[in-house]
Amino acid sequence: MYVGIDAGASATKAAIINKEREIVSYSIVPSGINFKISSEKALRKALETSHLSLKDILYTVSTGYGRALVNAKATSSEIICASRGVHKLFPSIRTIIDVGGQDSKAIRIDEDGRVLNFVMNDKCAAGTGRFLEVMSNILGKPISDLSILHFKSSKPVKISSTCTVFAESEVISHVSKGSEIEDVIAGLHQAIAERIYNMSSRIGFEKDVAFTGGVAKNQGFVDALSKKIGSNPILPEEPQIICALGAALAAIKKHKEPQPF
Amino acid sequence: MGLQRKKSHVLQTTKKIGELIMAYFSKASDAKAQGKPVAWITVFTPVELLHALDIYPIAPEHFGAMCSARGFILDYLEEAERGGYSENLCSYSRCSLGYVLSGMKGIMPSPDILITFRNSCDVYVKWWQSLHMHLGTPLFVGEAPYVLTLDDLDNYVLDYVVKQLEQLVEMAEEKFGLKFDMEKLVEIVKLSDKASELWLETLELRRFRPCPLGGRDSASDIFPLVVMQGTEEAVKFYEELLREVKEKVSREEGVIENERFRLLFDGIWLWHAFDLIKYFENKGAVFVYEPYSDAWAYRLDASKPLESIARKVLAMGLNVDIDLRIERFVESIKEFQIDGAVLFSNRSCKTWSTPQLVTADILNKNFNVPYLLFEADMADPRQYAEAQIKNRIDAFLEVLGES
Repeated sequence: MYVGIDAGASATKAAIINKEREIVSYSIVPSGINFKISSEKALRKALETSHLSLKDILYTVSTGYGRALVNAKATSSEIICASRGVHKLFPSIRTIIDVGGQDSKAIRIDEDGRVLNFVMNDKCAAGTGRFLEVMSNILGKPISDLSILHFKSSKPVKISSTCTVFAESEVISHVSKGSEIEDVIAGLHQAIAERIYNMSSRIGFEKDVAFTGGVAKNQGFVDALSKKIGSNPILPEEPQIICALGAALAAIKKHKEPQPF
Repeated sequence: MGLQRKKSHVLQTTKKIGELIMAYFSKASDAKAQGKPVAWITVFTPVELLHALDIYPIAPEHFGAMCSARGFILDYLEEAERGGYSENLCSYSRCSLGYVLSGMKGIMPSPDILITFRNSCDVYVKWWQSLHMHLGTPLFVGEAPYVLTLDDLDNYVLDYVVKQLEQLVEMAEEKFGLKFDMEKLVEIVKLSDKASELWLETLELRRFRPCPLGGRDSASDIFPLVVMQGTEEAVKFYEELLREVKEKVSREEGVIENERFRLLFDGIWLWHAFDLIKYFENKGAVFVYEPYSDAWAYRLDASKPLESIARKVLAMGLNVDIDLRIERFVESIKEFQIDGAVLFSNRSCKTWSTPQLVTADILNKNFNVPYLLFEADMADPRQYAEAQIKNRIDAFLEVLGES
């Protein structure tokens, strides 16, 4: 068995695959502040689900923000892992938009899943899952409700600031002026969609387009981004584990190499 | 990848640069104590003329880079911000303004004259005027028109700059009672030309595989070219450097043991995160060409000293048309066998950063050179997201490794 661990800023994901490159099991746990603990927890959970033990593992590759802190034989960047993971599931994909807890990225790949170009957000939470977390706290609505509320909105408000801190006061001012919560939420989704659209436009949206990362589980955001891009993206069944899957695929590749690099 | 650390080396000559910089700054205070005028200059000011006039030039930009590299720039940046200067302004300018506002208690003595030329940087003039407002020190502003074609280096544009060099001489003679000596200038021009020749020859040796001189060397070793041009010391330094690099070439010894990628770096270096260069080197990537490194090297003709210096003022750095710059980029791709380009979009330097994407697209489309663009600030460490930038570097090198 081969394992990929994606130690992301907000969640740690583990994926186990067999030598036929099929997913055997996976798990998602919160990252907390210790990637070593969260990665062990994620791995244990994935092993339990599939009734496997540590000795069944031939090779582990880690990726994500905390990749260097995970007990793995090699590391790989999220860009490569996301590309490998998506290409395995959907070979027709040429553009990947991945929105995670701390960063967002757009990647162009070729027909073999090789990276042609990529862009990432800079040191700022705008356009990431963190932005939505902060806003959901202010609005007193759990993250899981954002999607339902989004689709209730009839006239989304305009959030003009791209800075999380400034957007926070904008949200407060909209609410105090009597805007409906659902319109504020839809407005926030639009604001992030716009930011990601602007960033990704640099490399273009060649079809097919896939959305991955934890934020792709928020249908309200997916709706906002799809409208902005003007096409319906392909969504993996579990968008959050794609990088972990890519890391597990890298583990197979590295296991075969005589000299790991 | 990333688990194997590769040994990387800086040159023995480079190791001496820190001492040389400190000595240069402390000699400025000595000069001032002896009654010699000290000039604060922007880095594209013709220092040959100042050395000939016996004016001691120091560059607040160097001071900013040094404070950033040594980790105490925030003292000055925050002083400037307390004084009302916005965090969005150039960090070099904020550093020098903060230094002035905090009473100039560091290694840089107060200026007797402020000299700038409007070439390369768009902020220079207003920055120097602000210093002038705070200090009341005499100010000289030289104006260099933008060089659109190489003809501008020989026509009325050149005459215009020569005239201003003469005005600078007149002003210095009048303000400080100095006497300009043309014979002395000729000797200085010869020395300056020699130092540039040596440096350019050294940079050419980076064409070899493995590359004998890396980014940490090139970034450090330009110091004498900027303020010490025309001195024997600068020539001596570059002779020693060239000798060492030639020896490395003959031993086929590179900056790193296993050279996997040869990279171009576009931008000013990140002084506060200088080890980023080492991070690349540890992953088998070495910088072999930077437009920054030859920005100060310019051949001079001692038979026409003033014209020659005026030409240098015009042709320096970013004062030339983008097409001319791109030409040089394109040549470098072939000459230095470049695998990829790293572009540093510098929040402080809009002049440098704005055209970067145009250049990158040309490299990418015409020569299939992949590039990495990241954003930070050259001197302000608060604008730097280490984990995210390293993440991007990892991804970029992984992609290069797979192509």
